Amino acid sequence: MKQYKKMFNASIVQIILIIITLVSIFPLVWIVLASFKTELEMFRVQGNIFPNSLYLDNYKEVLFGNNSRLQFLKNSLIISLLSTFVVVLVSSTAAFGFAKFKIKNSQHIEFWILSTRMMPPIAALIPLSIIIRKLNLFDTHLGIIILYVLFNVPYATWMLTIFFRQLPHEIDEAAMIDGCSWFQVFRIISLPQILSGLFSVATLVFIFTWNELLFAMILTGRAAKTLPVAITEYAGGVFIRWELMAAAATLQILPAIIIVIFLQKYLISGLSLGSVKG
Amino acid sequence: MHANRIEKLLFIGPVIVLLILFSVFPLLYSLFMSFTDFSIARGYTNGFIGLDNYVQLMKNKQFLVSIFNTAKLIVFGVSTQILLGFVIAKLFKARHGSRLTTFLRTIYIIPIMVTPLIFGLISVYLFDPVYGIINYILQALDLGTMTWYGSEKTALFTIYIVDTWQWTPFTTLLILTGLLNVNESLYEASSIDGASVLQQVFHIEIPLLSRVVGIAVIMRFMDIFRMFDLIYASTKGGPGISTEVISLFAYRQSFNFYKTGFGSTAALIALILTVFFSSKLNTYLSREN
Repeated sequence: MKQYKKMFNASIVQIILIIITLVSIFPLVWIVLASFKTELEMFRVQGNIFPNSLYLDNYKEVLFGNNSRLQFLKNSLIISLLSTFVVVLVSSTAAFGFAKFKIKNSQHIEFWILSTRMMPPIAALIPLSIIIRKLNLFDTHLGIIILYVLFNVPYATWMLTIFFRQLPHEIDEAAMIDGCSWFQVFRIISLPQILSGLFSVATLVFIFTWNELLFAMILTGRAAKTLPVAITEYAGGVFIRWELMAAAATLQILPAIIIVIFLQKYLISGLSLGSVKG
Repeated sequence: MHANRIEKLLFIGPVIVLLILFSVFPLLYSLFMSFTDFSIARGYTNGFIGLDNYVQLMKNKQFLVSIFNTAKLIVFGVSTQILLGFVIAKLFKARHGSRLTTFLRTIYIIPIMVTPLIFGLISVYLFDPVYGIINYILQALDLGTMTWYGSEKTALFTIYIVDTWQWTPFTTLLILTGLLNVNESLYEASSIDGASVLQQVFHIEIPLLSRVVGIAVIMRFMDIFRMFDLIYASTKGGPGISTEVISLFAYRQSFNFYKTGFGSTAALIALILTVFFSSKLNTYLSREN
């Protein structure tokens, strides 16, 4: 009897979990489904979230139509990938330094790094955007990449330092006795050991930059505009083309979904890093 | 093994330079601008105006409302998300290990990776008083409908609902990580001693979770404090000024109304407030441990 009760409870919990999960992703399911609806369907039945057919014209319109968003999708990809690459490059060397060298006031520097995470971006953004304009980098890929690198390096460094600290020192010492320089130790010995950590940090930085709206809105015009900015323009007018916006939004959330499903291990280790160590 | 000065500089120097560019320089520049009538449209300033921006800001009703709104969103948002996150994490833990649960957890955390911009835009449709499915469901359940974003009284509440909808998975994930790290033998020992489930929650889990919960609180605090995308995508501060928040206020003053000096002052005050509260929270939590 007791056993049956236990099984009953377990299945109740399972059902609740299924409901919670469905509620959690409902808005995303809704917008993906809406991207396959026709303009008419959008306003037809209030309770009907499913499209009548697999209608692909919204995507055609968004990608190749008169007002194509394809260029902005490309901009987003270029900017996010390049920023991520530079962030990982700069922060991994610095993190190695923090983890392995004796540095004066390193605790203060680490607090400094963390405190930049607390800063509301708008506070740094107003002055930096003026500088970017003065350097003639407004509406260029380079301009926005510089800002994304500035904003993401501190946090990436902090996370990578934790990974480097977990490595044993003995191997470095042996390698240096054999004549390796610090740079060789970094590249040949340490870096390969924290590849998965590097990957989690890269994943997070990619998502941050891919999703970023405020900087891109202020620092890009026509040429370097990113997808999030382009999406806000659908909502700008009096009359919103929901089905087109849904298609653009689906393109925007696609990488996020792919990352969660395929790179989940890295993602969770990155997100929960601060909570376990730190 | 010691590194010499040049080696240290090569490894760490670039980050220090970036940090100065990114934190010290903007701070000083903002401070400078806050004493001027600088406008990003003109590109130059007519000179110092003393504390005028600060005086104007303290008299500006919209700014004061934006601070009050931000505070409300933080207090209600963070507490709800932590409580809900704890309950849901307990449920996930109860079924931990089964394949279905792992799969559900993967799907459940997808919203964390999506930009709040998208959640904001979708919410405009979902919570539409006429077309929206939320009112449709409420009506079907005979619970009555709401105006949501449509009225000054309920707009901020709707922002809070949407923020909680998107970010409870985040607090859940952190708390679940913490719960799974609690040593099983503590539960066994305490239940042999006759502790109830509730006692286990209060005497074992909550003390051991204080660190993860603290981190979740700080992260959510900072994120809601700087909230921009969600509001920009849904209400743009309206109706009236009922959903105005600090970041949106500073953004619009600086870049839409070209009162960059004035906007910088607002941003600077926001910065001081966050650093003050975050460091207070931080010391409070590290004392707890």
